[in-house]
Amino acid sequence: MKSPHWFRRHRNEELNEELQGHLRMATEDRVERGETPREASAAARREFGNVGLVRDVTRDMWGFGWLERLVRDVQYACRGLLHNRVYACAAIVTLALGIGATTAIFSILDSLLLRALPVRDPGRLVLLSGRGGNDATTYKGITWTYPIWDEIRRRPELFEAAGAYSTVQFDLAPSGETETVEGLWTSGRFFDLLGVKPVLGRTFRDEDDRRGGGLEGPVAVISYAFWQRRFGGAVDVVGRSVTIDRSGVTVHIVGVTPPQFFGPEVGRGFDVALPFGALDVLSSERPSRLDARQSWWLKIVGRLRPDQTMASATAALRAVQPQIRTATMPETYRPTDYASFIRQPFSLVPAAAGFSDLRSQYERPLAVLMAIVALVLFVACANVANLQLARASARRHELGVRRALGASRLRLARQMLVESLVVAAAGAALGLVIARWGSALLLQQLSNSVSTTFLDLRLDWRLLGFATAVATATAILFGLVPALRAARVDAGDTLRNERGIAGAGRNFVGHSLVVAQVGLSLVLVIAAGLFVRSFTVLARVDLGIDTDRVLAVEVRGARAMLPNERSAFLERVQQAAASVAGVQHVSLASVAPVSGHRNLTAMRPPGTPGTDEGRDVYLNDVGPGWFASLGIRMVAGRDFSASDGADQPLVVIVNKTFAKWYFGDEYAIGRTVPCQTFDGQRIVTRDATVVGVVQDSVYRDVREVAPPTVYQPFAQLLRPGLRPAAAYLLVRSAHGSPVAVARGVVSEIAKIDSTLTLRVRRMRDQVDAAATQERLVAMISAFFGLLALVLAAVGVFGVTAYAVNRRHAEIGLRMALGASQANVVRLVLRRVLVLVAIGLAAGGAAGFWASRFVEALLFGIEPHDPVTFAGAAMVLAVVGLLAAALPAWRASRIDPTTVMRTL
Amino acid sequence: MGQKDRYQNRIELLQGTLDLLILQTLQWGPRHGYGITQAIKARSAELLQVDTGSLYPALHRLERARFVAAEWTVSANNQRVRVYSLTAAGRQRLLSERSRWEQLSAAIASVLAPCPLEEEL
Repeated sequence: MKSPHWFRRHRNEELNEELQGHLRMATEDRVERGETPREASAAARREFGNVGLVRDVTRDMWGFGWLERLVRDVQYACRGLLHNRVYACAAIVTLALGIGATTAIFSILDSLLLRALPVRDPGRLVLLSGRGGNDATTYKGITWTYPIWDEIRRRPELFEAAGAYSTVQFDLAPSGETETVEGLWTSGRFFDLLGVKPVLGRTFRDEDDRRGGGLEGPVAVISYAFWQRRFGGAVDVVGRSVTIDRSGVTVHIVGVTPPQFFGPEVGRGFDVALPFGALDVLSSERPSRLDARQSWWLKIVGRLRPDQTMASATAALRAVQPQIRTATMPETYRPTDYASFIRQPFSLVPAAAGFSDLRSQYERPLAVLMAIVALVLFVACANVANLQLARASARRHELGVRRALGASRLRLARQMLVESLVVAAAGAALGLVIARWGSALLLQQLSNSVSTTFLDLRLDWRLLGFATAVATATAILFGLVPALRAARVDAGDTLRNERGIAGAGRNFVGHSLVVAQVGLSLVLVIAAGLFVRSFTVLARVDLGIDTDRVLAVEVRGARAMLPNERSAFLERVQQAAASVAGVQHVSLASVAPVSGHRNLTAMRPPGTPGTDEGRDVYLNDVGPGWFASLGIRMVAGRDFSASDGADQPLVVIVNKTFAKWYFGDEYAIGRTVPCQTFDGQRIVTRDATVVGVVQDSVYRDVREVAPPTVYQPFAQLLRPGLRPAAAYLLVRSAHGSPVAVARGVVSEIAKIDSTLTLRVRRMRDQVDAAATQERLVAMISAFFGLLALVLAAVGVFGVTAYAVNRRHAEIGLRMALGASQANVVRLVLRRVLVLVAIGLAAGGAAGFWASRFVEALLFGIEPHDPVTFAGAAMVLAVVGLLAAALPAWRASRIDPTTVMRTL
Repeated sequence: MGQKDRYQNRIELLQGTLDLLILQTLQWGPRHGYGITQAIKARSAELLQVDTGSLYPALHRLERARFVAAEWTVSANNQRVRVYSLTAAGRQRLLSERSRWEQLSAAIASVLAPCPLEEEL
């Protein structure tokens, strides 16, 4: 079809001319035979038949009549919808909400879980994992030490190519306030491994990854987004330099990655990448992290050779596993740990869609949310279908007339379906706008003051395709029944029986829709109830700490980590912070609560049998006053004091859970706990005396409030092997918001050492951020629960109003025969309430069945929580009753005399 | 003569025979639509009346299938008319339609012929 429009117009004119010619010739022949021109013309016309019809059926032969009919149907549908704006708006907005919600969740699901990395042949990428391949617990979040990566790098026969990376945050500010960007440490040819070609300059070569920096010194590759943001897309960016973590070392930029590459870690963009080799130059921590056999901080990626399968690559890896494990045995491990460390199998997991901790965290919530929005979409469809049914019955007359004028059943059905498609298309278009906005909002909720989540949510063909598919499916869902009904309309019936005593005419489809709506809505309200309750339980958990007026200041920098200087240096920092006006109290610790950091060791209570390592025990090194600054109560004994110095006897404080578990009771004072320490050459285990017992408090996870914990004095931290994860100052302000003193604290600390990187957060934000996932799921499910409730109410209202409308005459008659208003209300309500009850029963059963799928997402609440189930059912019953009450009341106001007159 | 009689005198065309009649008519030379109806009417002694609602769709269908070609010419009395002519493919089609029709009419004729076996019984 070349330029169909012009072409068709031309052919239409030709056809007209051809048919008119026919008529003219027929007339002329008749005139020649002696008829008057008038008679001849009339007779020719009669003989010819309906010109328009002939033209139409002839046009059908051209082969694209369907297109024209479609255009006409669409035009007709648009006119009809414009004519009936209330219906159109209601239907389009309902669908837009459903489609928008579905598309929004899908866009996040897609970018986080489904979409492959924009790299070469992602299907052959694998990630080194630590659990058995057929073990269900295989997970992707596992990290490795640099020595292990080194061993794998030295065995090129294992993969076509292999690489490693680690995500970090770099501080780019040379001095003054911290400028944090998303950083990446990578192995030499990491970008080549992924097949990411630079848009400018080059990516890393193996030489760049030489320890101590390559030939050109330390180099960096930056992302397209960072290039645009920070350098305004300057073409001469290659050759410019940045400073990293205030090291004073100049790092040259050698290349820019393409715009569609956001780093290997989905959910986390990257700004600046550096090769591992540069680490020793930029960081003065010694021994270097590249030599540390107990720092688990990087992920290892491999690309399979064409002749390799997952299984063969795993087998090859396992063959060298004992050698690799033996060569990289952490020094801190006790001989009893050796065997199990060597035995722990390597395995591989597919990494086509990238690697993400965010993914494992949000996989399940997103799946549940997807199910929720799908249900909402169903409810929305049911609603629109109901609207359409009501409208279709109002249009019976129109359809009847069109049947009488010769429209075929197929034609009417198609017309109705086209109308549904138009509504769905409009809904989808509006839905896409809502989805764009909604997914951005969701992403914003996923990010918090503690970490930023980055996802590529651009509108692309995948999203458009999804929205189109959803819209088509919904159009068929809600449009099919009205279409079939339209096809059943009988011309004679409708024209004759315009309005009479319709009786209690059954509206089976409408009723089933209401039952479905109520049922689905109940499921959604139950889900909302469960998640909201779960979140409230979580938010109300007694964490054992008082977060009010407390700032957590993470201190990073060379001198904060050096084993010899660390403690004395940090005490100076602490004093500087304490001198700031408005600061009530400052204390020191290796780990702040809920910071994500943790120190772990395995212990077994004395005298218990068994050969395993025992149970995980959390460790923290805290300065004097730390418990007080977090409001953790001492149960017995004393706090650490200034006299618990490095050269003094080793002491510890334990929490109640530890004391109960380790000693069997809470009276632990004076008893001993084995602690690892450094005697100058080796790591040795020494006994430390318990001097105090404290209340249980949260350590890392707000969902696990009382892990057994052992606290050591900060000044006795002599564990160079057991590197501290970080160092934190806890600052409590005297009154008011702690944010007020933050600036003063930062500037005082900078006076001591301007190269320190400080990250300041409110403790409260940190705790709130820990429940991000629960809050998000609760918020979204509550929103959709409410939406479903509204839709269900509209549905019940609609079907009741429709029934009242149909039974108008019957009700009038009943009232004329003596039925009271109460009788009428009862008559109307009875049937609706039966429907609602059926819906509630079905929805309750469905909810009961479905709730076990969300069990893993619930905290402190049973999936079959009876309060939630009963409450949700009550809410829906009340809403259903209210929605039905208005039409019922209106029915009772019907004036019998008016009805009798119109009969 | 009333409307009813007019219809009774006409013979409804069998499904599929219209194509055959059109192709056969064009065999004698190019013709416009009206000309085709007149020709068929004349050859069938006014028994077969081609309905325009069937003729033009058929013509356009045959044109689309390239059995006939159409072009605009000027008629004897100086009018622009669309004239249809048979293509090579159309000739082939005519032959096959024709033989099919002959088979069909022969078959119908033999069914309608008196059956000797039946008489014996």
